[in-house]
Amino acid sequence: MSSADTATTPDASLAEFDRTTSRWGQLTMGVALFLSLAAPLYLVLFTDLGVTASMIWTAYLAVAAAFFVLWFVEPITYYPVLGPAAMYQAFMIGNIANKLLPSALVAQAAIGAKAGTKRGEFAALMAICGAAMVHVLSMLFFVGVLGTWLVSIIPTDIVDVARLYIFPAIIGGVLVQLVVTMKQPRVTVIAVVVAALVLFVLVPAVPALAKPATGVVVLITAVLAWFLRSRKAPANPTTLVN
Amino acid sequence: METALTPEGLSMDILAIANMPVLWVLALGVFAAIIVQSLVYMKAARKAGPAADISEEELKVSFRAGAIAAIGPSLAVVLVSIALLTLFGTPAVLVRIGLVGSAATESASASLAAGTMGATLGGPDYTQAVFVVAFMAMSMSGAGWMLATLILTPILRRGDTKLRRVNPALMAIVPAAALIGAFASLGLAELGKTPVHILSVIVSAVTMAICIALAGRTRATWLREWGLGISIIVGLIAAYIAHTSGMAPAA
Repeated sequence: MSSADTATTPDASLAEFDRTTSRWGQLTMGVALFLSLAAPLYLVLFTDLGVTASMIWTAYLAVAAAFFVLWFVEPITYYPVLGPAAMYQAFMIGNIANKLLPSALVAQAAIGAKAGTKRGEFAALMAICGAAMVHVLSMLFFVGVLGTWLVSIIPTDIVDVARLYIFPAIIGGVLVQLVVTMKQPRVTVIAVVVAALVLFVLVPAVPALAKPATGVVVLITAVLAWFLRSRKAPANPTTLVN
Repeated sequence: METALTPEGLSMDILAIANMPVLWVLALGVFAAIIVQSLVYMKAARKAGPAADISEEELKVSFRAGAIAAIGPSLAVVLVSIALLTLFGTPAVLVRIGLVGSAATESASASLAAGTMGATLGGPDYTQAVFVVAFMAMSMSGAGWMLATLILTPILRRGDTKLRRVNPALMAIVPAAALIGAFASLGLAELGKTPVHILSVIVSAVTMAICIALAGRTRATWLREWGLGISIIVGLIAAYIAHTSGMAPAA
């Protein structure tokens, strides 16, 4: 049968849409995944810095211990809102909660489409395409071109200070933002107490735990938060980082 | 302890390797993948539009509405990204923030990775080797989200009910605990460093609290989007004043 025949019935046409978006979604995401790993791997393999595999795996384990829960939880959480096609867009571009979902909602409102319908799904998909274009252009122009130029003209003593204190300047704001938007006072108290105990009591006593300290905090906090949870109030869905 | 490192590995000139042309090419390739994806999706949507009961005009309106709604948040992300350029160089920032990562997760990953090398992000021991290990570790962590999406989406699509039946309380509490636990740990760790580090954390936290309070009171939602960028800038200004007025220990 020819493709013209299949395109005439709505079901076949939608099935073809699903096939195209999932095939190309996976392909483009796979390419981006490969390129994003190739960049640091190039530096590891083709510069003579003496970086060893064990340094990388140690660093990766420390990072993975802190974030591996989110790798799985975020896709499962967003799937019902995004649908299969937009999943490949959203987890490539990131900024889902603060950029993509608001864009999708605005577009659905603009054409009067309800979420959960095919119209709603298509409106959200187009809106995310629009958001993706703005994202790409703003990153390339304002960060890639203007930002690089800006950093090159700022006096080096300011750049050095910025580099030295950028992380504490990020983490303070991020922590407050997380605590406020999550509205989980019980979890917050548990996390802060566990972090303080691990960092200022446990690690000084057992220096070997210094490297995986954050992973240890995440694990203990998650277990305690689960067993000490309030059983009365229904749980609110969580706002996530990406 | 890093006896394997070569003299080059101990160089402090991060931007010399962070701006290598190959990295620029790979970064542009990532953006090309995002653009190609959007173009294919839009074409597919236009073709299947009638079956989804949505007109070509409505598709256009949706695209435009989404693009306009994304301008504010995109510029807010730009501000944060520019602040990160000094640490990672342009190509790494473009790839890490341009892809799934956020400033929060990526700088947290980099800080954790640098810690395993016995170094502080941006500190006097932040060498080329530390940068490369941090860049590799954050890329591998970012890959975790993409791999999970590639694996889970087809499963969720088949309507696998097991995944959807996961206890909603578990899905609400465990991620919140993991996130707050990770960032509380990283935040408290900064308090164990110099007085200027402590000041930066506190000023940034207070600025964010003010932004959120003002956003709630005046309904200025843009303050929520720009809160992190503003907090970082104000935190850095406080750090600069304190650092240059001699609060920092002599390096």
